[in-house]
Amino acid sequence: MSVIENRASRRKVQPPPPRKRAVTVRGRSLPYLFLAPATVVLVTMLGYPLVRMVMLAFQNMNNYRKFVNPGLVSWVGLDTFDSILKDSVFWEVVRRTFVWTALNVALSMVLAMAIAALLGRISSWARITLITVLLFVWSMPTIVTGTVFRWLFDNAYGVIDYILYLCGGKGMLHHDWFADPKQGLYVVVTSVVVWGALPFLVLALHAGMTQVPTELKEAARVDGASTLQVYRNVTLPILRPLLLITTALSFIWDFQCFNQIWTMRNGAPEQGYWTIGVYLFEQAFDRNRYSDGAVISLAMIVLMLLLLVFYIRQMLKIGDQK
Amino acid sequence: MSAHPRTSRRHRGLTAFWNTVAMLIAVVLAFPIYWMVLTTVKSNKDLISQHPTFWPSHFDFSSYSSAMEDNFGGNLLNTLVITLGSVAISLVVGLLAALAVARFDFRGRKPFIVAILVVQMVPLLTILVGLLPVLNATNLYGSVLGVIAAYLIFTIPFIIWTLRTYIVGIPAELDEAAMVDGCTKAQAFRRVVLPLLTPGLVSTGVFAWIQAWNEFVMARQILAPADNKTAMVWLTFFSSTPTHGADYGGQMAGALIIAAPVIILFTIFQSRLSTGLTAGAVKG
Repeated sequence: MSVIENRASRRKVQPPPPRKRAVTVRGRSLPYLFLAPATVVLVTMLGYPLVRMVMLAFQNMNNYRKFVNPGLVSWVGLDTFDSILKDSVFWEVVRRTFVWTALNVALSMVLAMAIAALLGRISSWARITLITVLLFVWSMPTIVTGTVFRWLFDNAYGVIDYILYLCGGKGMLHHDWFADPKQGLYVVVTSVVVWGALPFLVLALHAGMTQVPTELKEAARVDGASTLQVYRNVTLPILRPLLLITTALSFIWDFQCFNQIWTMRNGAPEQGYWTIGVYLFEQAFDRNRYSDGAVISLAMIVLMLLLLVFYIRQMLKIGDQK
Repeated sequence: MSAHPRTSRRHRGLTAFWNTVAMLIAVVLAFPIYWMVLTTVKSNKDLISQHPTFWPSHFDFSSYSSAMEDNFGGNLLNTLVITLGSVAISLVVGLLAALAVARFDFRGRKPFIVAILVVQMVPLLTILVGLLPVLNATNLYGSVLGVIAAYLIFTIPFIIWTLRTYIVGIPAELDEAAMVDGCTKAQAFRRVVLPLLTPGLVSTGVFAWIQAWNEFVMARQILAPADNKTAMVWLTFFSSTPTHGADYGGQMAGALIIAAPVIILFTIFQSRLSTGLTAGAVKG
C-alpha cells in the first residue's frame, strides 16, 4: 500500500524541517485515529461478549433467575463441560450436524457445477432467463424461504403433495413430510437449503468457467480429447481454487444453519431436527441455560475450526502440487 | 464455429435440448416464488381446495389485509429504524477504518485485516450467548438501540472489507496529483476520492442494509421483552398464532411484503455484488 504522506514529502526538494516533522507525526497517528471507532465498537460488542461467553462456560447461569440476577451466579469449574460432554444428545447432535452438512454441501456443489456448466452451452435468451430466476431465488430472505416452503410441504393443502399425487403417487395426497424427522430434515430442509444456496454457487462457478481460456480447451480438443476429458483435465484444474473456496463457504453456512430449520418447524423444532445451531438456541435461549449454551458455543467454534484446518491444509497441499 | 453443415445441425439440436433442460430447471427453481405470489391473490376457498389450481379462479386480495393485523405496521417501523440506524453508523465507522487499511501503511495493519476476516466467520448465535447477559446488565436489553448496536457486529466488518476493495481500486496517484495542485489531504479526499467512492458506498450500504433487514435470531432475543419486534420476527410470530397459523394466504402476503424491498434492491445492485465476489475469488 502506498503512503501518501511519505511520497508527497519525498517529492519536495527541500522540505522545511519543522513542517515535515508535523506531517509525519500526524501521518503516523492518523490511521490509528481512523481505526479507533471500529475497534472500540468491535471490542465492546464482539470481543467482550465472546470473553463473557467463555466465562459463562465455567459458571452456572442455567436459569432465568440467574440471568436477571447475575449476583446469584457462581463459578463451577468444568462441571458444565462435564454434563454436556457426557450427554448423549450432544453427541447425537454433532453426528447429525456433520452428516447433514456433508449431504447439503455435496448436493449443492454437484448441482451447482452441473447448472454452471449448462449455462455455458445454452442460447443467450435461455441463459438470461435462468440467471434472472437464480437472482430472485438468491434475494429471498431465509426466514421468508422457510415460511414459504412450510406452506409448499403442508400436509393438508400443500402443493408438493398434490403435484406428486398428479404424477401418480396416489398415497401422497396427505403425506406428512415432517412426521419423520429423518425425512423432514434430510429431504425437506435439505431441499430448502440447497435451493437457497444454488444461486451464489452457480453464478460464482459460471463466472469462473467463463475465465477458462478458450484456446486451452480448443488445443485439448485438437489433440483429440473428448468433451468430458476437456472438462476433467482443463476446466476442473483451473477451477480448483474457486471450488475450494465455494465448498468451504458452503460448509460454514450449512454447518450453522438455523433460520430455515426454525421456520420450517414453526418455531418449535423437535429433537430429531436439532443440528448444532438449533440445539444451541434451544438450550441457551429457549430454556435460559446460558452456561450450557456457552459450552455448546465453544464446541461449535472448535468443530468449525477443525473443518477449517482441514480446508487450509488442503489449500497448502494443492499449493505444493503446483 | 463448425463449417460442416451436418455437425452444425447436430450442434443446433443439442443446444435446443440443453435449452429445454435449462428451462425445466428455471421452472422448478422459480416455482416456490410463483406459488408464494399466487397464494396471496387466491381466495380462502381456493386455498383449502383439495385440488389446488395453478392460476386463481378469481383474484382476491383479502390476504393482504389479514397480513396487516397483529401490529404489522409497528414492527415494520421498528425494522426501518433498526436497519437504517445500524447501516448509517457502520458506514461512517467502516469508511474510516477502510481508509486506514487501504491508504496507510502502519504497524498492526495486517493483524487488523486478519481479525476482520476471522470475525466474520464466528457464528452470530455463539456471540449472542455472551452478548445477552452483557446487554442485560445495561439498559440496552429489550431496546431498539440494543439491536442497532448488536447489528454493528456484522455490518462493520462487512463494510470495512468491501469498502477496502473499492478504495484500493482508486489509484493513490489521483489524491497525490490533487495535493500537488495545492489541495490539503482532507480536500483531496473530499473532492477526488469521495466522488469516486460514492457508487461503492451506496452498494455496500445496500448490502449491509439487506443483511440487517434479514437478520432474525439477534432481533428475536434482544427484543424479547419489547412489544415491537422486527419484520422477520413478526413473520415467525404471525405464522404461529392460533388465528393465523393456518392462514397461509396472510402468511404469504406478509412474507411477500417484507421480502419485496430486499428483492427489489438486490436485483438492482446484484451486478456490483457479483463483480465484487469474483474479484475477491480471483485474489483469493
